[in-house]
Amino acid sequence: MTDTRSPLPDLTRRRFLQGSALAGAAAFLAACTGGGTPGTGSAAPSAAASESAAGSAAASESAAASAGATPAQGGELRWASWIGYIDVNDADQSYPTIKKFEDETGIKVTYNEKIDGNESFFTTDLQGPLTAGQPTGWDLIVVTDWLVARLARLGWLEKIDTSVTPNFVKNLAPNYKARSFDPDTDLAAPWQSGMTGIGFNKKKTGELDSLEVFFSTQFKGQKTYLDEMRDTVGLAAIKLGYDPASITAQQFDDSLAVVKKAIDDKIVRQVTGNSYVEDMQADSAVMAMAWSGDVLTLLVPDQKPTQDFQWRLPKEGGMLWTDNMCIPKGAPNKGQAERWIDFYYDPINAATIEAYVNYVCPVAGAKDEMLKIDKDIAANPLIFPPDDYVARLHQFRAVTAEEETTWAEAFTKAMGL
Amino acid sequence: MRGAIAARRLAPYVLLAPGLLWLVLFYVYPAIQMFLTSLWTGNIQNGYVQSWNWGIYPEAITEYWPWLGRSIVYGGLATILAFGLGFPLAYAIAFRGGTYKNLLLFLVIAPFFTSFLLRTISWKIILADDGLFLGPLKDVGVLPEDFRLLATPAAVVAGITYNFLPFMTLPLYVALEKIDKRLIEAAEDLYAGPWRPQGTIVGLVLGGALGVIVALVMDYSPLLIGIPMAAAGAAIGTFLISQAFIRVTVPLALPGIFAGSLLTFIPAVGDFINAELLGNPQSLMIGNVIQARYLKVTDYPTASALSFILMLAILIGLLIYTRLLGTEDLTGASI
Repeated sequence: MTDTRSPLPDLTRRRFLQGSALAGAAAFLAACTGGGTPGTGSAAPSAAASESAAGSAAASESAAASAGATPAQGGELRWASWIGYIDVNDADQSYPTIKKFEDETGIKVTYNEKIDGNESFFTTDLQGPLTAGQPTGWDLIVVTDWLVARLARLGWLEKIDTSVTPNFVKNLAPNYKARSFDPDTDLAAPWQSGMTGIGFNKKKTGELDSLEVFFSTQFKGQKTYLDEMRDTVGLAAIKLGYDPASITAQQFDDSLAVVKKAIDDKIVRQVTGNSYVEDMQADSAVMAMAWSGDVLTLLVPDQKPTQDFQWRLPKEGGMLWTDNMCIPKGAPNKGQAERWIDFYYDPINAATIEAYVNYVCPVAGAKDEMLKIDKDIAANPLIFPPDDYVARLHQFRAVTAEEETTWAEAFTKAMGL
Repeated sequence: MRGAIAARRLAPYVLLAPGLLWLVLFYVYPAIQMFLTSLWTGNIQNGYVQSWNWGIYPEAITEYWPWLGRSIVYGGLATILAFGLGFPLAYAIAFRGGTYKNLLLFLVIAPFFTSFLLRTISWKIILADDGLFLGPLKDVGVLPEDFRLLATPAAVVAGITYNFLPFMTLPLYVALEKIDKRLIEAAEDLYAGPWRPQGTIVGLVLGGALGVIVALVMDYSPLLIGIPMAAAGAAIGTFLISQAFIRVTVPLALPGIFAGSLLTFIPAVGDFINAELLGNPQSLMIGNVIQARYLKVTDYPTASALSFILMLAILIGLLIYTRLLGTEDLTGASI
């Protein structure tokens, strides 16, 4: 409500709960008509995709063939991303950094803020065509770790040709290399990260820095959990002393039991997506499992640390999630996508985007560039986490196909579904 | 001449065609697909096959009947409450609206100019634990400090009632507006006066019963809500309801009552936004289950089976309801 950058308080780019709920309903219909028998139900979207792909297929084949070490020039790039996830010129609603890229490379970029939920984007845009072996209509997509892991497992991603992306190889921050779902660091190029920790109203709770409070009866009925399994179970695992990056089935069960008990005992007010923000603004919730980006852009509109609403990385540790740029299988403009990835990993470009976006930047060197643009942002630990933060951040490991279903099922059951 | 007759014979079909085509494309076809999906087996890793696994239906019902039941109870309560609020409102506009009729009707539908979602989210602000409404009540000590409305079943039912109230009010208004006031005057001339003592008794029983049901569903003390509701019911039955109202107004308004209650009940049962935003983990509805099964667990067959079961349950309920109220009245007078 007090946010001046966005007219709607809940229009953060990430996991826009309600949007995804509505899109979910649409996706439900879409996938009811698709899936099952490949190529029948999904004929409509994939036909459209292959039609548009056909035009540029010849061009990109020659581009791919000649790629090797020379970066792509000209052609087009169709890119699906999230709302509020790139710098925008407020005057004419153009994207300055994309413009710069277009001018430098001659590549025409179609940037579409199409994604409002990983699950729904998977069902509406990826599942149908990729099951049928068709291109998706996108050359570059921005999706969260767990969806990258799923797509990698299904063989639905193109490998990034790292010989044409020297900046990516050189400037990717070390903690993002060789992640469990991407051992060779050539399937996913991190775009933005966020941290999951404690959001709280200092006026009501005083200073908080421990995960214990989430599971104690203190502030009973006034705290919220997240509806993302990896965040909520991940924090519980850290509290129990486990590392989510190597969580075992037994450890998962233990962690989930802690979560379930807190929910059953009505310690937890609600399990929410972004809507915990309204509850905190209205003083209904005094603490929440919260995403750092939400707290930055919504709870503290002017980003001054003197505000009542605060975010802390728990002393036991917190979760780090990342949205990654990936190239879906069969994308006709793979070379152009790689060119963009390399462009973004030039620190000056990353810093320019970061000055607008306010999430955690995965590009090493961007902080130095940011010092020249805006010292306050460069000093903000929620955007450029210092080493002691990085040491406490955990990433949830890639799960197996079976775990993906059974764990999601167990988690939704604990949530009361 | 023959051409003219043929054209006349074809006319109804031509007129029906666009609507039918629409229904087939956007209702029948997806419904069939949904049904087929419910009989798949598989997962996203290995793909799905059409296995005609009928067992999924009994499984889904056994596992999820509490959520189905809860949705029907919440939807039913919201419909009754919407009727309780909507009938006096529609009555007042139809009979006492005078020159303000159009303005009042506009106000009834005005909330529709705002997105359903934003309206529901704004409830989070209005009903906040320390907000506009509860804050002052807590300050003066009427309510205990830890009392809350949000994240309770009461908030879910209230949210649904609010969001679907216009669907109840408008058909009621249309039915009431058409009533020839002279019929009521004639009934009054023929001694259809105050409805006592039956009105007192009926009001007492209905009000008390509704109060107890509300209390049980919401987890409050039955006496705490039942007694005031019974008193209110008795008062309404004694002083506000006349025999003319029971014998003339209500029967003539029946088509509106029927249409309004269906238009409210059907979407209310399937609603998931209110439960998601205003409820707690103990008050989630079948719509939430279907959404989670579909998007989070990627268990498409169960999600589809549950959707189908919900559709059938509503359809069966509808048939019974139509039987009880009688169809001719409805088709005859609902327009």
